[in-house]
Amino acid sequence: MPDYTGANGLRENFRVVGKPNIPGLTSYAMATGVAKFGADFVVPDMLFAKMLRSPYAHARVLSIDASDALAIPGVVDVVLWDDPIFKEIGQNPIGGKRPTYLMNEAHYEGVEVGAVVVAESEHLCEEGLRALKVEWEQLPFIIDLKQGLDPEFPKIRGPEWDESEGDYMPGLTTVDGLTILNLHYPDDPRKVGNVSWTNKIDGDMDAGWAAADFILEYDVNLHAVVSLLPNPPASVAWWFDSMYNGPEKNLHIEGAVQRRGAIATMYGLPDENVVQEGLFQGGKYCDWGLRMSQEITPLLSRRFDRPVRCCNTREETFDMCVNERLLHLKLGVTKDGLITAVEDNSIADHGAPASSEMGTIYDRDYDSYYTLKCENISQKYTIVDSNRGFMHTCGQFVPYNWDALTVGLAILGEKLGKDPVELAKLNLHGPDSQKDTRPVPSFEACLEEGKKLMDWEWHPAGTKRLADGRLHGTAFRYQMCPRHAMLSYFCKLEYRDGVVHFPTQGPIAGWFGTECFTMIIAEELGLEFDDISVDYDYRAKHTDEAGGSDGVTGQGWIVKECANLLKARILESAAKEAQKTTTGFGPFVMPKMPSPLMGYAAEDLEMMDGKVFVKSDPSKFVPFAQATSETITADYGGGSPKSAWTTGFGRVLDTMNTSWCEVAVDDETGEIEILKYGIVADPGKVIRRTSLESQIDQAVFFSMGCQLLEEYVLDPETGVRLNANMIDYRKPTTLDVPIVGKEILELRSGNAAYGASGISHSLANSHLLITAIYNATGIWIDPPATPDRVLKALGKC
Amino acid sequence: MPMETTRVGTSLKTASEQAAATIAAMPAYPKSIRCPICQRQCLTYAELADHYAAEHPDSVAPVAVTLNVNGKACALIFEPHLTLKHVLQFHLGLTGAKEMCDRGACGSCTVIMDGKPTLSCNILAAECEGKVIQTVEGIAVIPKWKPLIDAYCKWDAMQCGYCTPGFLVAAKVLLDRNPHPTEQEINEALSGNICICGTQPRHSQAILEAVLVMAEGSDG
Repeated sequence: MPDYTGANGLRENFRVVGKPNIPGLTSYAMATGVAKFGADFVVPDMLFAKMLRSPYAHARVLSIDASDALAIPGVVDVVLWDDPIFKEIGQNPIGGKRPTYLMNEAHYEGVEVGAVVVAESEHLCEEGLRALKVEWEQLPFIIDLKQGLDPEFPKIRGPEWDESEGDYMPGLTTVDGLTILNLHYPDDPRKVGNVSWTNKIDGDMDAGWAAADFILEYDVNLHAVVSLLPNPPASVAWWFDSMYNGPEKNLHIEGAVQRRGAIATMYGLPDENVVQEGLFQGGKYCDWGLRMSQEITPLLSRRFDRPVRCCNTREETFDMCVNERLLHLKLGVTKDGLITAVEDNSIADHGAPASSEMGTIYDRDYDSYYTLKCENISQKYTIVDSNRGFMHTCGQFVPYNWDALTVGLAILGEKLGKDPVELAKLNLHGPDSQKDTRPVPSFEACLEEGKKLMDWEWHPAGTKRLADGRLHGTAFRYQMCPRHAMLSYFCKLEYRDGVVHFPTQGPIAGWFGTECFTMIIAEELGLEFDDISVDYDYRAKHTDEAGGSDGVTGQGWIVKECANLLKARILESAAKEAQKTTTGFGPFVMPKMPSPLMGYAAEDLEMMDGKVFVKSDPSKFVPFAQATSETITADYGGGSPKSAWTTGFGRVLDTMNTSWCEVAVDDETGEIEILKYGIVADPGKVIRRTSLESQIDQAVFFSMGCQLLEEYVLDPETGVRLNANMIDYRKPTTLDVPIVGKEILELRSGNAAYGASGISHSLANSHLLITAIYNATGIWIDPPATPDRVLKALGKC
Repeated sequence: MPMETTRVGTSLKTASEQAAATIAAMPAYPKSIRCPICQRQCLTYAELADHYAAEHPDSVAPVAVTLNVNGKACALIFEPHLTLKHVLQFHLGLTGAKEMCDRGACGSCTVIMDGKPTLSCNILAAECEGKVIQTVEGIAVIPKWKPLIDAYCKWDAMQCGYCTPGFLVAAKVLLDRNPHPTEQEINEALSGNICICGTQPRHSQAILEAVLVMAEGSDG
């Protein structure tokens, strides 16, 4: 196991890090309702804004007659798409490219288009919207991806949206000041109609097929899942004068997610001219997209010289977090079960224009196939533009095709009569690379504990019934712990008046990153969690960049280094101050009590349990709070040590996790019961145990929801969403989610603080339960496996 | 322009102090009477009603209603189509009842009305006159419920925290009715609340611990 360089090396004893049940710093505020989210802000003299939404899947606004709306008392104005005001707003640097801010073309049902109504109340906005006379031109739309494959189908988006038009420019490209991630390869086929392609072929496919004894082919259909951000995206903004920056040069906005930088850029302001004090961002689940309701309020506030609030409803916030993807897999396999070739032919939904490329081409470099010894891997993605909806930056199930391999191992197990766990062991490459044939210690440890946790006993499909007559099925999957910790992070700490201050601007979106960092600081300085003063301040440079627990641990490395820098400076100052025999200055000089640390250099001192003491004689100490009268600061920035992400994506298997389940299938009613759900994960090192366990609960919630309940239904005739509400689109409740057995291992082989790596999204899956149902019934049922679908698949309805 | 200050309740003490301050700041009577359509300032409710009759004859005039919220009688004037959720936030400054689903499916806006859990987004505020309304802020200031809030925080029965007050209100209603619930009874009582972060298993854990602590407290 690596012992990374750093101030503290590989620490063995932990006093604070790893402790459970330390309440979150803002948990009380959240529990008691005093935490304010964007939608909660109410300011005096506020106007309200609502956007016109498209009732069609693809349509153009030809004209809008707003006279009736404007005649409604209390409707202040109707701002149309061609108003010059929209030229005053720039591109969102963390969003996708768009030709103009508000357009007259709608690319999916429910999208903002054509007009904004501004009124004295939200209800008057809605009345104004109803009074608009809109002339629509309905346009051809694609809801069925297979229909979109037809090269004769009319193009549904113009060239202004297509970064993949013309020459492909792989990597980071700057277009109109925006950084565009275009990961097409230069020799990818040119786009035809609504379809583009990208092909990635590694190794020698012919050799791979030749080495195989048989070919296994199967389909894995990933259906669309929506994110349902809990809080309605909303903002309220107003401009104010500043004696430093001038009149109307300062913007106060509440509700714009992920700090104020994006809004500052859109409005051409330096960050310091933008105030956003609210910390609470709501659930994000990797969806950091700003909605128009969070971007447009400063623009309207400037025009109407009053604060403006814009808030989405639930129906208006029904964005995808997973797009539809239809995978056809072909594996070359030896009679022993060794995979010799992998061919993934995927049809992926490109979504509405500017949707995230996650689920299409982002994930092809670190997916499950690269965990195999087999190096002959072909990934051919057919990407179809559609009018199905919009996906912001998201990754509830990253990589999107991860389960394609673990499903394959289960199908292979049925064919060969072998436990998929053994097939996984056979095929998994070693910890360092695909050529490494050694076992992966983290994986082996997870398997050992997983089998114990589950009393694991695999059986062939359809061969086991429970005493009550229901069919019994099992499933297993593995994944590496992914790494998003490739960012550059920053931390600043200050020792002031005997207290360590940790300034941070948040935001708070549920991952308890600040608490993890505070634990690390306390650990390194020999203090307790509550000894650290966390100073929430929107002007602070530090922010929880995070990106899941892998981001937290990566950022935690920087925090740890910064704490050690501070520690060294405090000890140096303490040693220096201990040599003083007097205190005060000038005529006020007085004799000073000799310090117990007198005569010792900084390297002779250590800190622990709230004391600074002499290493060789711990009875000589001063309280930490009195170590020095100086104010001492430390700041540190950079990245964590080499990460799997940057050194080989899925080819580095240092920290792994496994998921296991057992289900009962009632073949009379179609009902599925989760009998056991077990997680054995190696996050490297646990930083904050309660939130790690909670994150596992979240992953299981996502997983069981999408496999058993959630279904996003679009009307094929009209392209309109049929269940964009929380009654018809079912999320799991307390009566649905299973109790999850958890075993957390700490092999310390991650790349971040203390050998941690986090688990992040890696335990969320799209097909574990579906695979168990397959093991129970011998029949493949595409998710969601609702009772009616199960019965239909069993030929009983 | 006034600046909102977000103070963070980093302990129950500060959070309950903030909740208490929010309750104290609820107006006992309207500080100003403004026409919600044209913003004209009126001196009395009668003047507003006359103004409506003259200037907005096609609109339904605001109503004068006294709501009893968290033990405080608040005389309010608002449009009759407003929900209790809206009035709590926009007229009384209470942010604990959250709007998530917009149609009574998620439980985030739950308040207690005459002892029963009530979805504040699904009831007109004008219908609530004469009812005893308690919001999560009102629960937060009662020492009896400290163990429940402590346990919620200790077990991370929240991630983003948006739905949490709704769960906590539902938990309080359950414990009022059944001080020693089983895990199954807790899950049934909270099944009308939706958490998108997946904290569902955490709530029963927190509530079961709170029940023990509260029982010890009452024994002592």
